Amino acid sequence: MSAHDHHAGALPPEPEKATLEGRNKILGFWLFLGAETVLFGTLFSAYLAFRNSVLDGPRPEELFQLPMTFIMTVALLVSSLTSVFAVQAMHRHKTGPMLGWLAVTIALGALFLGMEIYEFNEYVHEGHRFTTSAFSSAFYSLVGFHGAHVAFGILWIGLVILQILKKGLTVVTAPKVYVSAIYWHFIDVVWVFIFTVVYLMGKV
Amino acid sequence: MAAHAHTVKRYPGFLGWLWDWLTTVDHKKIGILYLVAGGFFFVIGGIEALFIRLQLIRPLNNFVSEDTFNELITMHGTTMIFLAAMPIIFALMNAIVPLQIGARDVAFPFVNALGFWTFFFGGLLLNIAWLTGEVPDAGWTSYPPLATTAYSSHHGMDYYVLGLQISGIGTLLGGINFMATIINMRAPGMTFMRMPMFTWTSFITSALIVLAFPALTVGLVAMMFDRIFGANFFNVDAGGNIILWEHIFWLFGHPEVYILILPAFGVISEVISTFSRKRLFGYSTMVFATILIAFLGFMVWAHHMFTTGLGPVANALFSIATMAIAVPTGIKVFNWLFTMWGGSIRFTAANLFAIGFIPTFVMGGVTGVMLASAPADFQYHDSYFVVGHFHYTIVGGLVTGLLAGIHYWWPKMFGRMLHEGLGKLTFWFYMIGFHLTFFVQHFLGLLGMPRRVATFLPNQGLDTMNMVSTIGALLMAVGISFFFINIVITSLKPRHATNDPWEDGRTLEWAIPSPAPEYNFKQIPLVRGLDAWWKEKLEGNKEMPPAEPLGPIHMPSPSILPFIMGVGLFISGFGFMYNLVFAVIGIAITLLCMALRSIFDDHGYHIEPDEPKKGEVAA
Amino acid sequence: MTENHSATGPQTQRHRVEGPQKHIVVFILSMVLTIIAFAAVAAGKVNKLFVIFLLLGMAIVQAFAQMAFWMHMKDRGHLFPIITIVGGVFVVIMLVALALLWTWW
Repeated sequence: MSAHDHHAGALPPEPEKATLEGRNKILGFWLFLGAETVLFGTLFSAYLAFRNSVLDGPRPEELFQLPMTFIMTVALLVSSLTSVFAVQAMHRHKTGPMLGWLAVTIALGALFLGMEIYEFNEYVHEGHRFTTSAFSSAFYSLVGFHGAHVAFGILWIGLVILQILKKGLTVVTAPKVYVSAIYWHFIDVVWVFIFTVVYLMGKV
Repeated sequence: MAAHAHTVKRYPGFLGWLWDWLTTVDHKKIGILYLVAGGFFFVIGGIEALFIRLQLIRPLNNFVSEDTFNELITMHGTTMIFLAAMPIIFALMNAIVPLQIGARDVAFPFVNALGFWTFFFGGLLLNIAWLTGEVPDAGWTSYPPLATTAYSSHHGMDYYVLGLQISGIGTLLGGINFMATIINMRAPGMTFMRMPMFTWTSFITSALIVLAFPALTVGLVAMMFDRIFGANFFNVDAGGNIILWEHIFWLFGHPEVYILILPAFGVISEVISTFSRKRLFGYSTMVFATILIAFLGFMVWAHHMFTTGLGPVANALFSIATMAIAVPTGIKVFNWLFTMWGGSIRFTAANLFAIGFIPTFVMGGVTGVMLASAPADFQYHDSYFVVGHFHYTIVGGLVTGLLAGIHYWWPKMFGRMLHEGLGKLTFWFYMIGFHLTFFVQHFLGLLGMPRRVATFLPNQGLDTMNMVSTIGALLMAVGISFFFINIVITSLKPRHATNDPWEDGRTLEWAIPSPAPEYNFKQIPLVRGLDAWWKEKLEGNKEMPPAEPLGPIHMPSPSILPFIMGVGLFISGFGFMYNLVFAVIGIAITLLCMALRSIFDDHGYHIEPDEPKKGEVAA
Repeated sequence: MTENHSATGPQTQRHRVEGPQKHIVVFILSMVLTIIAFAAVAAGKVNKLFVIFLLLGMAIVQAFAQMAFWMHMKDRGHLFPIITIVGGVFVVIMLVALALLWTWW
């Protein structure tokens, strides 16, 4: 049942949904995000349980720097918007702009990650290490896991960009763009809760 | 995109056969792999159980040391739940669900294979602990502080954490796969309310897996960070909290037992209706009850923690929620009974297991309601009463159900019928042995015998019942041995099973040859109602009406990458324990395989419908 | 635009590709909510409980908007994504409620 014979060069309107494989991948990825919701939720719960168990280490109010957190938040938020633009370009079958927006997305993601690594480095010098207390272990686990997800997303979208350059935009490569964009949006949504619950509430 | 499919290379001889199995992405073969691996771990867990019972056959026995006993109970529980029960559940789901919904495979065949190999290598990692002498010994529930490095400094608990983590990844992938398959790939005409009950329970089970396993993942990560990297989640001196582990573990653990039992419920619904020649009573109610059980299953976890000091309000809430689950479960039991009532019942071995399931599981359920009462639980907690309860539900319930399913679907998976006489012998030895083993354990608990004790003092009223329990275990072993003899004898017979060997099949899997051909359905069938195959038979049709024209069938290509990814994770497991360089290498191997899979798209291959043997036709 | 294909799911003959307007609105909304959140904390003198509820409320609104629009959850064909995320959130609510109630001293 070859669903691939269409007029040469004419991509369907929503190419990521044009094949059963594409629709399966999108659904499967949403199911994975349901699991990721529980995963991050459990990490949040552990963090909330230990938010006051700082022992001798520095307390959240002393540690967190709001200006830098704000810049990181804006960077990730803008990168989520640019990934929307990338998918919209894909729906218009404009491969060039799509790749451009994807590149901006991962550049901003790399900026976010770089700032976070710098931030963690500062904390270590201030005596807030992974092993310092229950609070610190929970903090680094939660925020670090998110950072690891950002890093993975950067590698993934980078790989997708390379694949599109090589194979072009097809009904096989389109789902990859769509799914990686959904992933990127998800980690931005998680960040909304991290900056709210960890950083902002830590300073209240 | 042109379908430039390619021929599948098939190598000759033993190595070719091995390569075929190592690279398969076919759900039917993966089902067999799960069955064999699960069966293998079941034997290991069974031997561990026998050693436990032999140690407890009489007071002050010294068959094994106390340390070894702790290792035995830990490994028995962990192996049986994660490496025997769940894989055999996945075996049946893999073998049967795509057939029941009229699909050619699952949504993600590659991920299906990956799920198997990660489960397998995780289980291997856990059991290799026996060979190193550093075996997990803090119970299958692994409570801190016992499980932390403060009290378990050797690598035993690391094997537990890492083995389960790797295995758990496989399970999660399987859950996602089956949900997507059932949502997206049902045959035309098969609405949700026309799906067979086994498919429904597989669907709900998969949803439970997707939502419950990540909590275990985090718990295991926290334990691993504590043990290997000096984190403080469970280190009370640094502000950590040991009850956090219990909450996280049981938030996973309670849905887990519903993950275990719901597929068995599905099997019972199929087997009883088939061998009563009558449709399932109250189908919609059964579906609704299954969903309700799953939903409530997330709200009762603290009934494992009544004695930890949560307070009377929390205890009362969880108590009531727990008792509430008995209601939809009871509805199911009554519906099975009403299905049989007035039916034309055939007592095949499969049906004996299914019928034996009902009173046995009910007994397990009612002791559950007893345990649900928080004040009473202060007496039952950590006694043999609990051990009796959960073995009644898991062994008397789940394992019995799996045996029913295996006997029922064996012809569809292997093309041969298991020998009925041996099946009945299996049933009687296993059932009688089971009740002997576990019924007395309730009374042992009420008399005050704690669980997880390596021995007990004489003349406290415990001696006779412990001996009876051990004899029962030996009878169960005899019964299971008959089962394995049955398998061997059957495999020597020729493959003569027809497509509908029980003659009363109601669902789509019985419309195709036994064993199912590589592509499952020559033409995807059109489903015209519930019990679709039965409906066609009643109208005198010999085949399902097709929903598509005859044509070349597109199949996914086999791949060695899932196996290699399993090996990568296996290596990283050792790396985390002994040398972090290998942890990095192992994970890098796995990530590299993921990248390769993304870069090299699988175009599959085609089978021509008039080539019923293994198809090798290029488009 | 392109020909209509069978077996690709429901599509109209003339497929309208949506513009970026709604998404930009969501972006501006997210920025505004974020700025309010940071400002509320930076101001320092506001009632603590009020601020916490405000922060949570705005986070939830922002998350909703991003999921509905950027992740297309409001569009047709997203029943199971909604069910899955709601299921996940249900489990998380119980965990979080537990963590807070348990440490509420």
